[in-house]
Amino acid sequence: MRRRTGVVGALALTMALALGGCGAADDSGDGGSATGGAPTKGGDLTIARSADIISMDKTTTFDNNSIRVMEQIMEPLFHSSADGSELEPWLASGYTISDDGLTYTIKLRTDVTFSDGTPMTAKDVKFSLDEDTKTGESGWGYINAAIDSVEATDDATITIKLKYAWAPLIADLSLFANGIIPDGYGGKTSEQFYEAPVGTGPFVWDSWKQGQSLKLTANTKYWQKDKPYLSSVQWNVVPDANTRKLQVQGGQIDIDDTPDWSSLASLKSASGVKAETFPSTQIDYVAFNQARAPFQDVHVRRAISYAIDRKAMVKAVLFGNGQEANSLLSPGTPYYDENAGGASLDVAKAKAELAQSSQPNGFTTTLLISSGNPNQASVAQIMQSELKDIGITMEIKQLDPTANKQARLASDFDMAISAWTMDIPDPDQWTSFAVVPTGGAKSAFTSYDNPEVIDLNNRAQKETDSAKRQELYTELQQKTSEDAFLAYLYYSPYVYASTDKVQGFHVTPLGGYLLQDVSKTK
Amino acid sequence: MLHRLRFIPGRLVQSIPVAFGVTLIVFLLAHLLPGNAAVALLGERATAESVAALTAQLGLDEPLWRQYLTFLGQLAHGNLGTSLTYQTPVAQLVLQAIPVTLSLLLYALLIALLISIPLAALAAFRPGGARDLGVRGFTLLGQGMPQFWVGIMLILLLGVGMRAFPVGGYGEDAAGHVYYLFLPALTLAIAMSPTIIRSLRSSMISVLGSEYVGTAKSKGSYGVQLFRGHVLRNAAIPTVSIVGVNLGYLVGGSLVIERVFALPGLGSLMINSIFTRDFPTIQGVTLFVALFVVVVGILTDVVYTALDPRVDLGRTARA
Repeated sequence: MRRRTGVVGALALTMALALGGCGAADDSGDGGSATGGAPTKGGDLTIARSADIISMDKTTTFDNNSIRVMEQIMEPLFHSSADGSELEPWLASGYTISDDGLTYTIKLRTDVTFSDGTPMTAKDVKFSLDEDTKTGESGWGYINAAIDSVEATDDATITIKLKYAWAPLIADLSLFANGIIPDGYGGKTSEQFYEAPVGTGPFVWDSWKQGQSLKLTANTKYWQKDKPYLSSVQWNVVPDANTRKLQVQGGQIDIDDTPDWSSLASLKSASGVKAETFPSTQIDYVAFNQARAPFQDVHVRRAISYAIDRKAMVKAVLFGNGQEANSLLSPGTPYYDENAGGASLDVAKAKAELAQSSQPNGFTTTLLISSGNPNQASVAQIMQSELKDIGITMEIKQLDPTANKQARLASDFDMAISAWTMDIPDPDQWTSFAVVPTGGAKSAFTSYDNPEVIDLNNRAQKETDSAKRQELYTELQQKTSEDAFLAYLYYSPYVYASTDKVQGFHVTPLGGYLLQDVSKTK
Repeated sequence: MLHRLRFIPGRLVQSIPVAFGVTLIVFLLAHLLPGNAAVALLGERATAESVAALTAQLGLDEPLWRQYLTFLGQLAHGNLGTSLTYQTPVAQLVLQAIPVTLSLLLYALLIALLISIPLAALAAFRPGGARDLGVRGFTLLGQGMPQFWVGIMLILLLGVGMRAFPVGGYGEDAAGHVYYLFLPALTLAIAMSPTIIRSLRSSMISVLGSEYVGTAKSKGSYGVQLFRGHVLRNAAIPTVSIVGVNLGYLVGGSLVIERVFALPGLGSLMINSIFTRDFPTIQGVTLFVALFVVVVGILTDVVYTALDPRVDLGRTARA
C-alpha cells in the first residue's frame, strides 16, 4: 500500500516539476530591446544543425560543422569578402610580392591579442603556418605545398618564400587551417591545446557536451572594438530536419542551419521566422567513371549531359531556389565564366551524340547516390526517365553516405552524384582536384586525363596577373565543358531559417559566417 | 523473501555469454558494411592515399579477429576503447548517454502506468459497456499510430501550437530534464499503454470474477478499497512480465524518438556511430543495451517474485 502511495507522489512531483519548468522557460528571454540603430549588446544565440563537431584541430578536421565553430575562435591572416569575390586583410594589414613572385612580405596588425591576453606576434604566425604545413597527407597541409619557408622578420612582419610562383597563396592563407594560434600551443601539447583552443577570434571555447551541444562565450579582448555583440553562441545537435524547423517556429532556437528545400515556402510564410538564401560556391554534378566502359567515350558523356533537364531539377529539388549549372566553376567562385559552354537540355543533340558513340543503340548503366538524401533521389529519378528517352537504361544504386564515399574512392561506380564547395576564394582548390589525375583523387574519382587542361591548370597556378588568369580559367572551363567529364547539374544557394530576432547574420559563398557581426533583439 | 531471490547470481552468470554473443554479432555485422571511420572522417576531398594513411593510423587495416580480440582484451581491463570519431573514451560517451535514455524509459513507463491503470480499471468493471468500448478504441488507435508520427503530432500541438513544451533537447538540470523529456516520454507511453491496458483489463476481469473477490465483497469491501487491496495486486502479476518485455522493446523505439526529439541518448549515439563506422562506440553501446535487457529481465522476475509469494524461480523442480 505504502509503495503505491509513493508512485502517486512521484507522479504528482513529476507533473509539478513539469509545470514549474514550463514557467521557468517562459521567463528566459535574451537581449535588450532594439529600436533600430546600434546593434543590441548581449544575448545568447542558439543554432541547431544536424550533426555535432568532430574535433577543433584545424589542421586535420574536414567536416563543416567543426570548421564553422573553429572559425569563430581562430582567425586567419586574410579573409574572404562578404560576396566572396576578393580577399581582405584580417590579422594582416597588407602584403607585397617580390618581382619574381617568389617572396611575400606580410605586415601584421599590431593591436591583436589572443583571448588569453597575450599579444599576437610574427612568431605565432610562423608557428601556425608551419603547423598546418606539417600535417601533410592526412590533413590540410597540401594547401601550403608551395611554401618553402616562413620567417618572422620582426614582431609585425613575416616573410614567406615559395618553391615556385603560386598565385593562390593569399587565398590559401585565408583558409581556417592556416588560422593563427599561440606559438608552441602556449606551452601545451597539440592534444591539450585543441581540447580548448585559444585564438584571436570573437568567441572563446566554453563547453562541449558531445552529441548534444557546444557553447562559446564572447571574447572580451577581441581586437574589433565593441564586437562581438552576443554574449554567447550555442550549437545544438538536432538531426531531424522537421524538428529543427519546428524549433525555429516555436522560438526555441534562433537559427536552423540547412532547413529542407521543401519546407522553405512554409518557413517564409510563418510569423516571426525569416528564411534566407545566400549565394554559394556549390556545384552539384554527375561524375562519369572513365575507368569503365563506355564512359571513356566523349560522345556517351555528351549524350547524357544533353539529355538532362536541369530546369526540371532546379524546380523539383530546389523548389526553384537555384540555377542550372553551365560550368565547372560556380558563379560564386572567382574567374567563373558564364559562357563556359556547359550542356543544356537538347534531346536531338543527345540522340545525335549517342548515335556517333560506341553505343549507338543505347546501353545499361548505374547511378550511385547516397541513401537518405532526398535531393539525390529526385535527381536520379528525373535522370532515369530522361535517359530512357534516348535509349539508356539507368539503374539507381543507393548506399549510405560512408559506403557511398568508399565506392567513389575505390572507383567502384559507373556514374555518381556528388557536389563540391570551395574553402578558399580561388578556383585552384577545385580545378586541381577535378582535372589533375595524379593528385591522388584521380580527377574527382573520374580518371579524367586531358594534358591540355592539366597544362592550363598549371599555368593558372603560376599566373599572378588577374586578367591573364581569367583567360586561362575561361579556356579551362570551355575545354572541360567540351570533354563533358562531369555532367553539371545545378548551383544551389545556402539556406538558413532564423527568427526575426536575429540581426546581421550573413553567409559568404564559402559557407562561413561571421558571428561578431550578429546581434539579437529582445 | 530473500531465499526466493537466489536465482539472481545464476542469471547474471548466464548473461555474460549472451552479452558477448551479441557484441560478436554486432561487430561482424558492422564490419560487413563497406567503408570505415577513416572514410567517414576525411572530407569529400579526401584522396585514396590519405584514407589509407588514416585507416592504418586507426588500426582498421588489422585482421578482423585481431580487432575483436583487442576489444575483448580492453574490456577485460574495464576499458571500452576509444571512439574513432571523437578520440575520447567510449565509456565516457556511453556514460553521458545512459542517463538520457534511462530517464526517458522510466519516465515513459511512469506515464504509461498512469494512463493504463485507470483506463484498464474503467474497462474491466463493466466489460462490454460504453467505457470498455471507448478504452478498447483507444488501445487500437495507440497501437496503430506510428511512434514518430505521434511524436510529431504532439510537437505540433503542445510544442509549436501551445508552446507548452520545448521541441527537442534535454534541458540543463533535473527540473529541466523532467520538462524537456515530457513530450518524448508521452510519445513512448502512448505506444506502450495499449499492451499494458489489454493485459491489465483481461486479468482484472478474471480477478473480479474470482471467488476471493466475491468473498471480499461479501465482507463489505468495495470501491477503491476493493480495487487496491484485492484486484490490482493480483491482476498486476501477468502485466509485470509484459512491461519487462516491453521495456526491452522500447529501447528500440527510443532510437526513433531520440532522433525526433533531438535527445542525446544511446539511440542517437548508436545511429551516429553506425553512420561514421565508429566501431568501438557501436560495440560499447551494444554491450550496454544487451546488459540492460538482461538486467530488466532479472528485475522483472524480482518484481514478479515480490508480488506473488507462490513464485520461486530458484527452485528448478518440485517433486
